[in-house]
Amino acid sequence: MHLTPEEFVDAAEGTRSESSLPHLADCDRCRRELADLRRTMTVAADAEVPEPSPLFWDHLSARIGERIDAESDRSWWQAWIRPRVLVPLSAAAVLVLIVTLAPRSPSARVVVPVGPAPTVAVEPPNDSADLAADPLLTLVSDLSASMDLDSVSAAGFADPDSAEHAVTHMNTDELTALKQLLQAEMTRSGA
Amino acid sequence: MDSSLTWTQPGPWPMATIDVPLDGADERALVDACLAGRREAFDLIVERHRRTVYQLCYRFVANHEDASDLTQDVFVRAYRGLRNFRGQSSLGTWLYRIGVNVCLNRVSARTLPTEPIADRQFIDQDDDTGSDRLLRKERQARVRAAIAQLPRKQRATLILRIYREMSHQEIADALGSSVGAVKANIFHALGNLRKLLGSEGL
Repeated sequence: MHLTPEEFVDAAEGTRSESSLPHLADCDRCRRELADLRRTMTVAADAEVPEPSPLFWDHLSARIGERIDAESDRSWWQAWIRPRVLVPLSAAAVLVLIVTLAPRSPSARVVVPVGPAPTVAVEPPNDSADLAADPLLTLVSDLSASMDLDSVSAAGFADPDSAEHAVTHMNTDELTALKQLLQAEMTRSGA
Repeated sequence: MDSSLTWTQPGPWPMATIDVPLDGADERALVDACLAGRREAFDLIVERHRRTVYQLCYRFVANHEDASDLTQDVFVRAYRGLRNFRGQSSLGTWLYRIGVNVCLNRVSARTLPTEPIADRQFIDQDDDTGSDRLLRKERQARVRAAIAQLPRKQRATLILRIYREMSHQEIADALGSSVGAVKANIFHALGNLRKLLGSEGL
């Protein structure tokens, strides 16, 4: 029985003595194989890696530094698109959007008249109790308590001139209705 | 580059701040400095280990360009995973392991060109020392190219055993195999190397 690969390697590396492998004494083929293995190992060990130019090492270090810097920059903005950041951020954006688009005073609503005589209907705040009990509106109210219009505008959710734009583009009837509404509100509040 | 490392020495006396040159810092201190955001500490790690890593990569691919790219990959990956360095082995061994993984992944992805070998036979010219040196260089190039053509597991095993002188067990741990498989890979790698080199190459 010829030597196994393990026995060959152990014998070639010298971790196992040839005398412990009696088969070697009787088998020319295994002796030749062992001699070839040793010679190949010697030739392989002699194969040094050619030394690059001295400039190469500095260039290599610089390239590694650049890649690490690039990676650091990339990881900074990649952190923003990770789900754990993106999901809460999106939720906050949706809330801001709701706050921005929601009516400022849910108890009063302007009804633009269709008939010849402009009329203003101010709905009585009979549903204010229901609105106050609405948990979603309470949540929105709590979240928006510390917000101001400038912050919302800066976030890009509302045009800071949108209210002014709406007023300046009203027709005569709408302006009259608005005037009456304001007067009624001032009378009610005693201003 | 600020080449000093500052840390606070604990003790029964009032806390003292010691400035130690970063150049003389040991591996653990360099790693800690890196983790604390000191990029120049990693530059020093690169400077200390770049030759060893480059040589490993060169042995895998047998050409300068790819060895250079692989060396960069190894250090970038090491920087990314520096937090995982526990200090159970030396930093050099840890980097070497990363290097082996990077090289194995790369060589499995595509066949790399090896350095050109002069198409000439090896003739014994012991009487000419100049030719001797040239022939030796050519033979080394041929051996490197032949190693780079071995199947990747055989290649990795041979490189770790012959050039890194790692034990069979260490190689088995690094490559996720058994000692028996490592020895079998060495045996087959040497056999294939012999075939690739031909009788005149030995």
